[in-house]
Parts: sequence; structure tokens; C-alpha cells
Amino acid sequence: MEIEPKFTARHLNFFYGDFKALDDISITINTHQVTALIGPSGCGKSTFLRCLNRMNDLIPGIRVEGNIQLDAEDIYASNIDVVNLRRRVGMVFQKPNPFPKTIFENVAYGLRVNGIKDKKILKQRVEKSLKQSALWDEVKDRINSSALGLSGGQQQRLCIARALAVEPDVLLMDEPASALDPIATQKIEDLIHELKKNFTIIIVTHSMQQAARVSDITAFFYMGKLIETGDTETIFTRPSLKQTEDYITGRFG
Amino acid sequence: MERHFIKELDDLKMTLLNMAALTRRAFEKATQAYLNRDEALARSVVEGDREINNLELKIDQIVLKLLALEQPMARDLRFILGATKISKELERIADQAVNIAERSLFLCQHPPLDHLPAMDQLIEVADAMLDAAITSFVEENTQKAIRIRQMDDIADKYTLEVLQTLIDKMVKSTPGAEKRILNTRRAVQTIIISRCLERVGDLATNIGEHVAFIVEAINIKHQKIDFDE
Ligand SMILES: Nc1ncnc2c1ncn2[C@@H]1O[C@H](COP(=O)(O)OP(=O)(O)OP(=O)(O)O)[C@@H](O)[C@H]1O
Ligand SMILES: [Mg+2]
Repeated sequence: MEIEPKFTARHLNFFYGDFKALDDISITINTHQVTALIGPSGCGKSTFLRCLNRMNDLIPGIRVEGNIQLDAEDIYASNIDVVNLRRRVGMVFQKPNPFPKTIFENVAYGLRVNGIKDKKILKQRVEKSLKQSALWDEVKDRINSSALGLSGGQQQRLCIARALAVEPDVLLMDEPASALDPIATQKIEDLIHELKKNFTIIIVTHSMQQAARVSDITAFFYMGKLIETGDTETIFTRPSLKQTEDYITGRFG
Repeated sequence: MERHFIKELDDLKMTLLNMAALTRRAFEKATQAYLNRDEALARSVVEGDREINNLELKIDQIVLKLLALEQPMARDLRFILGATKISKELERIADQAVNIAERSLFLCQHPPLDHLPAMDQLIEVADAMLDAAITSFVEENTQKAIRIRQMDDIADKYTLEVLQTLIDKMVKSTPGAEKRILNTRRAVQTIIISRCLERVGDLATNIGEHVAFIVEAINIKHQKIDFDE
């Protein structure tokens, strides 16, 4: 498969009021690859992730400079439909956050928001998403019971199914496994390997081992700057910068 | 506060340095035993080998534990992998020292052969290579590591010279059958020693390659080096 850029960020600066949280970030994120964002707490990983589907727009006093293109289209252009952008660029958070509704309704939610009413189509899409998120076999017999009765790991896969239901191109994951036990974590990681065939995935993680296991490309952020990016094998065996090496070998601070 | 892991890495390095020092000592004793026809010294090399073998096992143990419990990355990972490789080379060098010592024990039982200058030089080169290998590791000096290979050609040259000289001697030795058998046996034992010395040079070269891998993440194993540069 040929490698094509999905996102291209150029000279991106991001401000919360006067505070510059991202400083001159330029990076290309490839289609059908998993890109891991690593770096110490507060370095701007989540901020950068939220720039990619303009989730930061909801925070008052923010300012963006530079540009980000999704499939060669400037996502901060004035004519961009932000709702559609967020459909194309789905997001999964650290803590599973299912709605207090049935499993079915959780997954169907985004479809209903997008105006799909046909029962048959809804059923098909919900089933497809649950299969893609490797949850179908575990819930197919209780699809109409409450999502809150699922385990943490199942809830997280449900949230992934919910994100996938609207057929996005990109999945942003902000520490998706940090609240999960090792077995549930492994399921999410296996799922990421599976999903990258059809989606572009960007994951924030604090676990070096997780970044090493799931990603193709690793980007190291420090104090709002992108310090080094490269293929994951290189970053974790022979990074070119000492700062990167010090961070991944735990010698930081 | 120093991280537990860093301390464990230091322990690994210290154990490896200890093994290197013992190996170097064994090699020096073996060659001295050969040169000075010193039986007691030769025996002490044979006896000392167990300690070196044990250190290799200890290093394997530390490495296994660090890999399993610490999941090291980048330079740490390369150092840990490099440490197992270097300890394997050291163990083999120590075996060569034992081999040299055993041959020397045989030679001590019989009157000496004529002095072989190429053998003195071979010992000197092999010793210099081993020294460079160990210091390149201690100093994390890739340049020194790369230069070991240059010496390898010199070692090969002297090995060949020893072989040729001794073959000539065997062919030319004319007197009675008994003397001839003794001559041949002494010559063959000496040739084996020269082989061991050459092998020590090869193993020292390998150590240099592992050092380059640890320090620079480069593989110089199959690289051509332009010595004129
Ligand atoms: N809503 C906000 N208002 C003001 N400052 C913020 C806001 N969100 C984040 N920041 C600041 O921006 C910087 C980057 O934060 P961000 O959440 O992107 O870091 P992070 O790399 O995701 O950290 P962590 O690993 O702890 O999640 C931090 O200094 C943070 O305090
Ligand atoms: Mg964050």
C-alpha cells in the first residue's frame, strides 16, 4: 500500500489565552498508519490531538496559528463544516464514557445525530461497528441492555464502536487504555492493529511499551515542541536526539 | 533519587568489567606461561577458568531479569544485548587462554624449540587487540573499536609466519625417528598456540563491533573500512 499523508500540520502554534501550548509543530501523519504521540505530562499531546478535529474550539480564549490539512484541505478554513470534520475524525477518550442507554443506542447515537432513521440501516451499522471493535460476540445477546453493565474494557470498545459507526477516516485516541487492566489493554492494542487497515489512528500514550507495540510512527513532544519523529523501531532502538533517548529510557527530570 | 534500573545497569557493567579483567589476566598469564615455560602459571590459568564461566552465567541472569522486568529501550537495550554478546566473546577468549596454557604445559615437559620471533610479535598484537577491545568498551570509544580490525591483518600475517617456519623445521628435521616425532609434536603444539592467539584477535575484533553497536547503534561487522582515510 502506498503511503499517503492524511494530516499535514505546518508551523502550528496553539495558545490558551497567553499561554503557548504548541510551538511551531510541523508533522505529516500517514494514512493507514498508527502514529503514537509520547512525551511528559503537559507537553501538549492532548492539545495537539484536539487540534486535529477542532475539539479545542469549544474552549474559550484559544487561538490557532499555522495550518493543518486533512486530505489536502485546510481544516481551519472558514468554510469548513466542523460537524462533518468531527464525523471524519472520531475520538476516543481516556475514561470510557458510555451514555446511560442501551448498548445499541450508544452505537446508534452518532448515526441518529447524522439523520439516519431507517431501522434496518441502523441495525446493520451498529452490528458492523461492534464487529469492527471486536465487541459483537460478547454483546450480541444483550444488545438492548444498559451499556453501564459492561466491564471497563468492554465499555472502551463500545466507545470505539460508537466512534466507528459514523464511518470516520481517522480515529484519535487519548490514552485509551490507561484505565484498563492488562487483558483489556491487550484487546485494545490488538484492535488497533486490526483497525489500521481501514483507518488512520493517532494515539496518545504514557506507556513507552504501548507506543512501541502499537505504532508505526512515534512523535516525541516536549514543552509544546515536537522534538523528534520517526518510525517507531528507530525511535525505540536508536533515536537520533539525546533528549528523546533520555525520555524513553526514563532518565528525564 | 537514582532509579533502581540505572543501578542495575551499573551492576551489569561492573560484572562485565570484572569478567573482562579476569579474562585479560588469564590471557596474559597463559602467554607468559608459554614464553617463560612456567608450569605453575599455566595451571593457574586452567584453574581460574571456572570463575570466568560463572561470570558469564551471572551476566546472562542479570540480562534476563532486566529484559523481563524493565523492558529497556534504546541505548539501554543495546547495552544489555551488547553485554551478553561481549560476555560470550570474553568466555571464548578465556577458553583460548586455557588452551594456550594446556599446550604450554606440554611444551614445558620437553626441551625448548628454537626461539620464534613471529610468535613474540603475534602475542604482542593479540594482547594489544584485547587491550583495545576492553578499553573501547570502558571508554565507549568507537574509533578505538574500529581500529582493532586493522590489527587483525597483522595478527593473521604473524600466524602464517609461525606456521611456515614450523612446517619448514618439520620437513627439514632429519635425525633419528624419535627426535623427529618429538620435533613434530612440539611444533604442532606451538602451531595450535598460534591459532589460539589469532582466534583471540578475532574475538577481540568482535568485541569492538559490539561496542560500536552499543555506542552508535551502527553495525560495523560487514562494513568495509578504508584504512587510508
Ligand atoms: N483548557 C486549558 N486551559 C489552559 N491551559 C491548558 C488547558 N488545557 C491544557 N492546558 C495547558 O496546556 C499544556 C498542554 O496540556 P495538554 O493537556 O495538551 O498536555 P498533555 O501532553 O496531554 O499532558 P498529559 O500527559 O498530562 O495528558 C499544559 O501546560 C496544560 O496545563
Ligand atoms: Mg493529555
